[in-house]
Amino acid sequence: MSELASGRVAHAAQAAFRVLVVDDDPDMAGFLALLLAQQGMHADIAADGHVALEMIAAAPPDLVLLDVQMPGPSGFDICRRLKSEDSTALLPVVLITALEDHESRVRGIEAGADDFLSKPVQREELLARVKTLRRLHETRKELEGRRLAAEVQAKEAIRKAFSRYLSPRLAERVLRESPDGEAVFRNLSERTAVVALFADLRGFTHLSEAVPVSNIVPMLNEFFTELTAAVHDNEGTVFSMAGDSLLVGFNVPVQQPDATARAVRTARAMIERFAPVAARWRAEHGLATGIGIGIESGEVVVGNVGAPSFMSYTIIGDPVNVAARLMQTAAANEILIGPRAALSLHAMLGGATAVERRAVALKGKAEPLEVVALRVAA
Amino acid sequence: MTAQPIAVTVAKDLEDLIPTFMKNRSKEVEALRAALAAGNMEQLRQLGHRMKGVGNSYGFELVSTLGKQIEDGAKAGDRAGLEARIAEYADYLARVQIVYE
Repeated sequence: MSELASGRVAHAAQAAFRVLVVDDDPDMAGFLALLLAQQGMHADIAADGHVALEMIAAAPPDLVLLDVQMPGPSGFDICRRLKSEDSTALLPVVLITALEDHESRVRGIEAGADDFLSKPVQREELLARVKTLRRLHETRKELEGRRLAAEVQAKEAIRKAFSRYLSPRLAERVLRESPDGEAVFRNLSERTAVVALFADLRGFTHLSEAVPVSNIVPMLNEFFTELTAAVHDNEGTVFSMAGDSLLVGFNVPVQQPDATARAVRTARAMIERFAPVAARWRAEHGLATGIGIGIESGEVVVGNVGAPSFMSYTIIGDPVNVAARLMQTAAANEILIGPRAALSLHAMLGGATAVERRAVALKGKAEPLEVVALRVAA
Repeated sequence: MTAQPIAVTVAKDLEDLIPTFMKNRSKEVEALRAALAAGNMEQLRQLGHRMKGVGNSYGFELVSTLGKQIEDGAKAGDRAGLEARIAEYADYLARVQIVYE
C-alpha cells in the first residue's frame, strides 16, 4: 500500500483554497497534491469515489480534480452526481483523462465537467487550469454572497413593512405565497369583502381624569397589548389604532372563509384578556373600564392611502362605518354584530352569556339596524 | 542484457515522492506478471493505462511508453508481446538511475 493513499498535503501558511484530488493511483494523487500545495493551496486526497463523496459532503472543497477511471463509481458518475445536487452544482470539477481520449471528453462534458486535464500531467497545464478555475470560483462566490445579502435585506424590509399591519403568522404566509410581497398589495386597491371589527375602551374619559398623566400611556399600552394579541391569535390585520380604539380587518389581505367566526372569536378574546387588567385598574385606581365592540361585514375598498411620504394601509367603506357606530353604541363588554355579519353567525354564538336581537338607531343611518348583541362575562 | 544504467532526470521538488513511486513500480511489475500468468487481460489493460498516466507526469517517459504498449497488447490479447514488454519494464527499473534537477 502507498503511504499517500489517504494522506493530506497542506501548505500551512495560506491554506485558503481547498482542492480535493480523487485518484485511485496513489502516485498520481500524491503528485497532483504536491503541485497544488506548492501553489499555496490545500489538497486532500480521496482514493475512490465513495470516499470522495463522503469528504465533499462533510466539508465541500473549492475545486475537485477527478480521475475518470476508478474502481467503484467512475469520475463521470461522481461528476454527474455533484452537478445534479444544489449544494454542489457550482463546485468546479476538472476531469483527468488521457490526452487522446476524445470519447471521455465528450462524456465528461455531458456529465457537466468544468474543465479537463490531460494525463500524463504537465505541471504548467495543471497550474494554469487550476488558477483560472480558482479565479472564476472566487468571483462566483463573491457574486453569490452579494446576491444573497441583497435578497435577505429586501425580504427583511418587506417583513418589517408587513409586520406593522399583520400578525407575524399572517406576514409569514403572505411572504411565502408572494416572496416580494408585490402581488398581495397589487390586488388590494380594489373592492373586496371583509369583516371589520372596531373595539374601544369604556371608561377612558374617567381614566384620563382620575389617573396621573404619566400613567396614561403605559395603561393604554397595556390595553392595546391585550387587544393586539387577541387579533394576532386569530390572524386579523390591524388597520388603525387611534386614541383608545382599534380597527381590525379579516379576510384581508388573504382570504379567510371563516372571517366572521374569527372576528367574533377575536372580540370575545379581547374582552376576556382585558378582564384581569380591568380588575387591577379597579383595585388600584377605582376605575370601571370595559371594552365596547362593533362588527360588520361587506364590501370595502382596500389599499395604501396617503401621500408618498406617509402611506397607510387601510379599508374604507360602509361596513367600517357601521362597525364604528356599533362600537360606540355597545355597552361595556358587549359585542354588537351588524345585520350582514349576523347572517353568517348562526352556528358560532354558543358560549356567550346572552344573545339578543335589537334594533339600533345609528348616526348617519335613516333606518334602525337589526343587530345581534352578545354579552361576554368579563 | 548488459546492466548499463539508464539516467532519468526528475524535478527536484518530486524527490520526496520518488522512493514511494519506485516501490509502487516494483509492485506493479509483480502485478503485471501475476495478471499475465492468470491471463487476466482486463487487469493488464488497467495496469498499462495507469503506467501511461503516471510515468511521464513524474518524468519517466519509458514507463508511459511501455504502459501504452501494455494497454494496447492487453486489448489485442497479445501474450508474447505483453511478456516482452513486462520483461523490458523489469529490466528498465533495475537499471534506472535518477538525477534530480
